[in-house]
Amino acid sequence: MINSDLQALITTLEMATLTTIILLIIGTPLAWALAKMTSRFKIIIEAVVALPLVLPPTVLGFYLLIAFSPEYLPGQLWQQATGQQLAFSFSAIVVGSVLYSLPFVVQPLQKAFEQLGDSLLEAGALLGAGPIDRFFSIVLPLTKASFITAASLGFAHTVGEFGIILMIGGNIPGETRVLSIALFDHVEAFDYARAHLLSISLLIGSMILLAAIYWINLPKKNRRQRSSVNPKQEELNDD
Amino acid sequence: MTKALLNKATADKNAQLDININVSYPQFDLAIQMAMPLKGITGIFGHSASGKSTLLRAIAGLEKTLVGDITLATKMLVNTEQGYYLKPEARQIGLVFQNSRLFEHLSVLGNLEYAVKRCKKRQLNLNEVIELTELTTLLEHQVNELSGGQQQRVALARAILAEPKLLLLDEPLSALDQHSKTQLLKMMLNIQKKLNLPMLYVSHSLDELQQVCDTLLVLAQGKVVNFGNIHQVIHQLNNFGEKALIHQQTSLSLPIKQFDNGHGLSVLSLNAQQDIYLTSNNAFKNKKQLRCFILASDISIALTEPSNSSIVNHLFGTIKNINHKKNKVLLTITCGSQEFFVTISAFSQQKLSLATKQQVYLQFKASAVRTFIH
Repeated sequence: MINSDLQALITTLEMATLTTIILLIIGTPLAWALAKMTSRFKIIIEAVVALPLVLPPTVLGFYLLIAFSPEYLPGQLWQQATGQQLAFSFSAIVVGSVLYSLPFVVQPLQKAFEQLGDSLLEAGALLGAGPIDRFFSIVLPLTKASFITAASLGFAHTVGEFGIILMIGGNIPGETRVLSIALFDHVEAFDYARAHLLSISLLIGSMILLAAIYWINLPKKNRRQRSSVNPKQEELNDD
Repeated sequence: MTKALLNKATADKNAQLDININVSYPQFDLAIQMAMPLKGITGIFGHSASGKSTLLRAIAGLEKTLVGDITLATKMLVNTEQGYYLKPEARQIGLVFQNSRLFEHLSVLGNLEYAVKRCKKRQLNLNEVIELTELTTLLEHQVNELSGGQQQRVALARAILAEPKLLLLDEPLSALDQHSKTQLLKMMLNIQKKLNLPMLYVSHSLDELQQVCDTLLVLAQGKVVNFGNIHQVIHQLNNFGEKALIHQQTSLSLPIKQFDNGHGLSVLSLNAQQDIYLTSNNAFKNKKQLRCFILASDISIALTEPSNSSIVNHLFGTIKNINHKKNKVLLTITCGSQEFFVTISAFSQQKLSLATKQQVYLQFKASAVRTFIH
């Protein structure tokens, strides 16, 4: 691979890794709150979280570009706090990716938490485990597969972003020039050989990642460890 | 110093659970005001939707919609007037659920250690509890490899290892086969005695409760119907309103006078003059006392002492009360200090022209005296 493409790869991996970490940190409590919520505002929050699934990335990118510009409050606050402009920066594409990939992390986690239910958490509480303890000793081990799915989907989806990054990040090498943008550049310059190289590597990389997710979620007949969070369903399968 | 210790000991002995709560449900309102002494195993009996599970959940801290207060010994658990709500993890109350609720990502031992690790003041020996619940050979198993009875034993051991001050049992046997039920009931009695751990045992099966409880609380439609000594409560339920809660019966705890009379019958001493015969069973062998019951429909009445009958039990008594219900009559008959309950048809009552204070003979077969050996 040629230097500039390598740099785009590094930028992409940095962006996707950072985005995934942030998504797990904010997505987990959000998914938990949604799973336990009974208020009628639940559907509104769910709709907002799911919005990036249907909205053209350029629409989200357009609003974010305006919000990130120094004329508007979010951009101003950022500039005051860091001394740097938010729009067309690495931070901007990370913030954009977090919003854009949010449903890919929140939805599998929310579903897992809903299926897990309260019964084991009640049992844990009566054995003296507090809420944080219960999360790490019961919820996390039993929904491990869903966490891996959520993180992988969030990561893969972020790697595949194009429109939103073009809108709010531009095309700055080493800062906001990611693989999908580099690919677009090669095509525009009729450099099909490099475009092929990038495309095929992205294709194979995504295939491997998705295959790994499906393998993790495969019901393991011989291994007793739960791969699904729904024990009832598995019991039926076992019988 | 000694006086202080003595005071503490008596305080523990008189420890009680004060309950004064209301929980609203679409079908019924649970409203309970009572003080329950914490001693031995107290049974909580009622049909479904009588509020028994809700009561346990309220005590455990899982029922968040209640109004009122609960105090365990001197420890306030909840007081909604003062806005006080102690979280379940801080209550030191154990609960064994109907479905064992074991952690599937842990082995049997892992489940037990989960409780041990979180216990603040450890006094119990893990191995001792494992032996009491007969789990020694199962420790390395995954919990989903276990049978229902084994899972409930793990759940029981796990609850005990958290070293609660009070153990709640919510229909722990309802999903088990007869053999596992008997085994677990024995285990519960044994544990109760060894660890001196008070238990509240919810069940819709009077049969289960009669085997292990000394005290019985009866709930119907979210209200307390009866509370007290199990035999007395059962006898009061014989007369209970329109809808019968139980099979009408005489419930007894009697000393064993003779294990085998040479003809395969055991003899129980009812009072100084009268005995009760029942079919002997090896399980009675080392017992001093036996719990049994006789269904009211299994006893018949005679005006003279039956002398040429195969029926071995005939007791002499006085009719205390006659209660008509459609074509049936419930007689309460006292034999010494013991009351017996007998149902006969209104037709027979008229034929014998039975009246209160009349002296009659009760007769029932040895096989009508039911024990809890299955």
